[in-house]
Amino acid sequence: MKFIDDVIEVKNLNYQTYIEDISFSIKRGDYVAIIGPNGGGKSTLIRLILGLITPTSGKVKLFGKDRINFKNNSKIGYVPQGVTKNDSSFPITVYEVIKLGFAHKSSLFSSISQEDREYIEFIMDKVGVTDLKNRLISELSGGQRQRVMIARALISKPDILILDEPNTGVDTNSQKIFYDFLKELNQKDNITILFITHDLEVIVDDVTNVLCINRSLLSYKDKNEVLQCNTMSELYGIDAHVVHHNH
Amino acid sequence: MEIFQYDFMIRAFIAGIFIAILASSLGMFVVVRRYSMLSDALAHISLLGVAFGFLFSISTTWSAIVTAVIISWLIEYLRRNYNIYSDSLLAIFLTGSLSLAIIIISLSHSFNVSLFNYLFGSIVAVSTNDIYIISSFGILSVLLIANFYQKLLFVAFDEDVAFTTGINTSFLNYLLVSLVAITIGLSIKIVGALLIGALMIIPVISAMQYGKSFLKTAVLAIIFSITSVVLGLIVSFYVSIPSGATIVVMSLLIFISSLFKNKIFA
Repeated sequence: MKFIDDVIEVKNLNYQTYIEDISFSIKRGDYVAIIGPNGGGKSTLIRLILGLITPTSGKVKLFGKDRINFKNNSKIGYVPQGVTKNDSSFPITVYEVIKLGFAHKSSLFSSISQEDREYIEFIMDKVGVTDLKNRLISELSGGQRQRVMIARALISKPDILILDEPNTGVDTNSQKIFYDFLKELNQKDNITILFITHDLEVIVDDVTNVLCINRSLLSYKDKNEVLQCNTMSELYGIDAHVVHHNH
Repeated sequence: MEIFQYDFMIRAFIAGIFIAILASSLGMFVVVRRYSMLSDALAHISLLGVAFGFLFSISTTWSAIVTAVIISWLIEYLRRNYNIYSDSLLAIFLTGSLSLAIIIISLSHSFNVSLFNYLFGSIVAVSTNDIYIISSFGILSVLLIANFYQKLLFVAFDEDVAFTTGINTSFLNYLLVSLVAITIGLSIKIVGALLIGALMIIPVISAMQYGKSFLKTAVLAIIFSITSVVLGLIVSFYVSIPSGATIVVMSLLIFISSLFKNKIFA
């Protein structure tokens, strides 16, 4: 069941020279891929939506509220770029990372509840990392780390999941499992998904909309229209095309 | 034991154990954030505070703490708002503070053995008043770390993601540098400005060799730190050598053994 309200609304957004007058809106239950060349402002756009940087001009609205006044942060789950890389000796276990999802309400006098603990177990089971719970993050493969970061993002029961190039450095088999999982989150749990990708194959089979940007918005269409237009060639400067694959 | 018959040694042990707990628990966050240079810079900055103490004839512990905290805020402000590399910023404050400290100490004619104590640490330098300051700040700091533990860990692990979950990352960054500044201000009398950075870093790096969770690594770092301080004070008492240097050598011995023994416990 799809609702019609806009969960993300971007109006005449500008940020220095990286983002030029971008406007679009994303509805509840949409599954949106952001594509575009390197340096085209994809990550900057996501950082603006998340409030990590402040726009030079223009507006971002989340669930109808201005970004600056939006305080219901648990509605948004974020998986940043580079989580699949193993460049850290940070001593932290899978369980500790997922538990960070409750950090905002943890203090000396209010530890996480039994219900929260059970929810951590439930999410670990859902993303398939229960067996890894006591392993250090630095010992995991790229695909395993990716699942842990998604589990951490899902802890707050978000309505929107935002992912920045989630599949960098992940093997093909893990990528397929990952996309199946995202599809399930979108279709069964009705989580709106916004993600940056270079993986054009997934656009055809799973997503509902494709947002093409190169500093400015080139197009924001449903996937079938994207396939018929020349956007791919415009974006990448080559005769790019999308290949279907069957899950 | 003969060592416990002296009041100054009892004071040194109390102060040393508080400092060991504070330095290593804060050191966990400093090390994983690759901000190890912060402790060294703040140690030299607290030396400037000591110089102010000499100049105005006030408690050097208080002047060291206040100077270190104020300048730690300035560093954090510049780091967040100006496009300057963190390590360059720390190097500027480290050398700048040391230069100013030398000039002030020279002008106030305090270049004597007491400065040597602040550089390398001295057991006898810890007064009863210092114990009150160290224990009250120590308890307060431990409570603050415990209260914000999960949030500090999240900010250290991924500051951007922590921010998006509604955590006030700016407040936590200021809190962390303030606690580090206070700990260093409290420590320089016993460990010394040139060596306190080591007590903040070495036990943590030793504990990290055992491949445990963040919490277990922190507990191990605190144990290593207390062991270094207790052994260092005992050796320094019986061999009559500076306490700070002896404590750091003890922590280095633990580090070397961690490098060889980590496989046994892993």
